[in-house]
Amino acid sequence: MYVELKDIDKRFGSFQASDGVSFGVAKGKLIGLLGPSGSGKTTILRMIAGLEAPDAGDILIGGKRVNDISAAKRGVGFVFQSYALFRYMSVFDNIAFGLTVQKKERAYIKERVDELIRLTGLSGLEARRPHQLSGGQRQRVAFARALAPNPHLLLLDEPFAAIDAKVRKELRSWLRETIGKVGITSIFVTHDQDEAVEVADEIIITNKGRVEQIGTPTDIYKNPATPFAAEFIGESLIIADYGRLHGFEKLPGFGSAVLRPEFVRVVKPEQEPYPHASQRGTVAEVLFRGNSLELSIDVSGIRLIAYHSLDGDVFQPGDAVSVLIHRLFLLGAREVKKTENASLQNNTAFFI
Amino acid sequence: MKGKITRWVLVGLGVLFIALMLLLPLAAVLVYALRQGWATFLSAVTDTYAIKALQLTLLAAGITLAINTVFGLFAAWAITKFRFRGKQALTTLIDIPFSISPIVAGLVFIVVFGRIGWAYPLLEAWNIKIVFAVPGIVLATIFVTFPFVSRELIPLMQASGSDEETAAALMGARGLRIFRRVTLPHIKWGLLYGVILCTARALGEFGAVSVVSGHLRGKTNTLPLHVEILYSEFRLTAAFSVASVLVVIAVLILILRNIVEHKLKREERL
Repeated sequence: MYVELKDIDKRFGSFQASDGVSFGVAKGKLIGLLGPSGSGKTTILRMIAGLEAPDAGDILIGGKRVNDISAAKRGVGFVFQSYALFRYMSVFDNIAFGLTVQKKERAYIKERVDELIRLTGLSGLEARRPHQLSGGQRQRVAFARALAPNPHLLLLDEPFAAIDAKVRKELRSWLRETIGKVGITSIFVTHDQDEAVEVADEIIITNKGRVEQIGTPTDIYKNPATPFAAEFIGESLIIADYGRLHGFEKLPGFGSAVLRPEFVRVVKPEQEPYPHASQRGTVAEVLFRGNSLELSIDVSGIRLIAYHSLDGDVFQPGDAVSVLIHRLFLLGAREVKKTENASLQNNTAFFI
Repeated sequence: MKGKITRWVLVGLGVLFIALMLLLPLAAVLVYALRQGWATFLSAVTDTYAIKALQLTLLAAGITLAINTVFGLFAAWAITKFRFRGKQALTTLIDIPFSISPIVAGLVFIVVFGRIGWAYPLLEAWNIKIVFAVPGIVLATIFVTFPFVSRELIPLMQASGSDEETAAALMGARGLRIFRRVTLPHIKWGLLYGVILCTARALGEFGAVSVVSGHLRGKTNTLPLHVEILYSEFRLTAAFSVASVLVVIAVLILILRNIVEHKLKREERL
C-alpha cells in the first residue's frame, strides 16, 4: 500500500470528523473518496496533505510515517476545490511557482512548465491571468500547478464542483485519462456518486467520519456492505414493508429494504412469463426521462419506481400491470443481505 | 418623471449641503488667510515656530505611518488567515480609537506616563520623557490612528480567503515569499488607501496630542496646535494662514485618495 491511514481520529470541537478511519491505497491507483457533505471526506484529504493534523492514528506515505512531516515536505500535490490559483500571476507563473520555490534552474522550469502546458492543452494561454480563463481551463491550470514539482501523490478536493454541468462530463474523462498518462497515485473527494463511479478505480465511501465500504465501483454497486452504502449508491427506494412484495419474506433483524428501479420489470398482465413470482399493480404516473420512461406503480399499497424502454409497451396512468421484482437489498443494523425473488428461483428449479 | 424630480431634489440638496458645510468654510479660510496680502501670509507660514511645528507634525505622522502600517498588516493577517480564540474580541479592540474621544486617549497617556502616572518612577529612573515631549505626541497620534490600515485590509483579506496562501505554503513557500508574491499584490491598493487615510488623520490630529503636548512652542507644538495658539492670541490672519497649509495638504491627500480608490475599485472587479 502506498498510502495508508491507520485508526485516524479527528475532532473539531464537538464534531467528530474522523472516527477510526483506516484504509490503504495501492500505488498508481485513482481513488474516489465519496460521501455526503459533513461525512469527513475532505478532512481525510486535508490530513493526508498535512493541512490538518489527526488527533490519533498514523498516516503513512510510501511506507514512511508522515504525521510529523510538514505539508510542504510530504511531496504531495493538492488541487483545491476553488483551485486557489494565484490571481495576480500568469498561467505560466502559477504552474512554475512550486519549482521557483524549490530554486530549480530557469531552463528546467521553462521546460517543465511547457511540458505541463502541452499535457493540459493550455498552449497559447501562458500569459493569461486566471480571471481570463474558463472554469475548465482554471481546473487544468490548478492540476498542472499541482503536478509541476513532480509529487508522488495527487490530492484533489471536489475537482469538478466549480464547473458547469455540461463541461463537467468532458473534464471527468479528461482527468481520468491524464492521471492515467502521468501514472500518479491520486485521491479525489466528491459527493457525486456518478463522478466517483465514472472516474475512480476504487471508491471509499465515508459517512459520519467512518469508512463504510472500500471497493471497485462495480463491487460496491453489486454488493453494498452497509445499509448506508446500499442507500447512497445508485437510485434507491427504501421500502419498510417489503414482506408484501411477492417472492420476499420479512426477515427478523432486517427492518427495511432497498429497491433499485433496475430490479423491477414491468409487463402487461397477459404477457407475464412468471405469473407466480410476480404481482399485480397499477400505474400511478408516467414520466418521460429522455432515454426511458419512469413509471410509478402502486403494488399492494407500496409505491415503486421502475424504468421502462421507450420502445416497449405503452402504459397510461391507471393501467393494470404485472410487476416482477428480481432482487432486494435487506437492511439490517450494520449489515446488508442481498435477496433474490424466492418464487422466481423455485420456478427456474422446477423447469430444470 | 417623478423619479427625475426626486433625483434632482436629492442631488441639489446634497450639493447645497456640501457647499454650505464644507466648501464655503474652507474657502473662507483661504480668503481670510490672504486678506492682508501675500507678504503677511508668507511671514506667518515661514515663521520659525510654524516651520518647527510643521516639521514635528510631519515627523509624528511619518513615525505613526510606519508603525501603524506594520501593525495594521500584522493585525489584519492574524485576524483573517488564522483561527484562534478571542479573534472577535481582538477585532473589536482594534476599533476602540474610532469610538473613543481623542481627549480621553490623551488623558490615558497622562495617567500612564505623566507625573501622576504608574510608569513615571521608571521613566524618571531611565531619564525618558514621554509626556510633554515628542514621544508622547507620537504615541498619541499612533493610538488615535491605528485602526485605519487594518480596517481597510480586514474585509479585503477576508473576501480573498486563505486558499491561495495555503496553496503556496503547500508548495514549500515561506511566509515572506507568500506575503510578497500572493498577499501583497492583492491588498496593495487597499493598503495604500488605509495608509493615506491614516496620514490624513495623523497630520490633523488635535485632541489627544493637545493633552500630551504641553504646548511648548518650537518643541512640542504640532501644526494644528500652533493654529490654536495663534488663534487664542487673536492673531487671526496668521492662524488662518497656517490653517490654510493644513487645508492644502488635506486637498492633496483627497486627490491622492481618489486616485487610489479608483484603482482599488478596478482591482476588486478582478
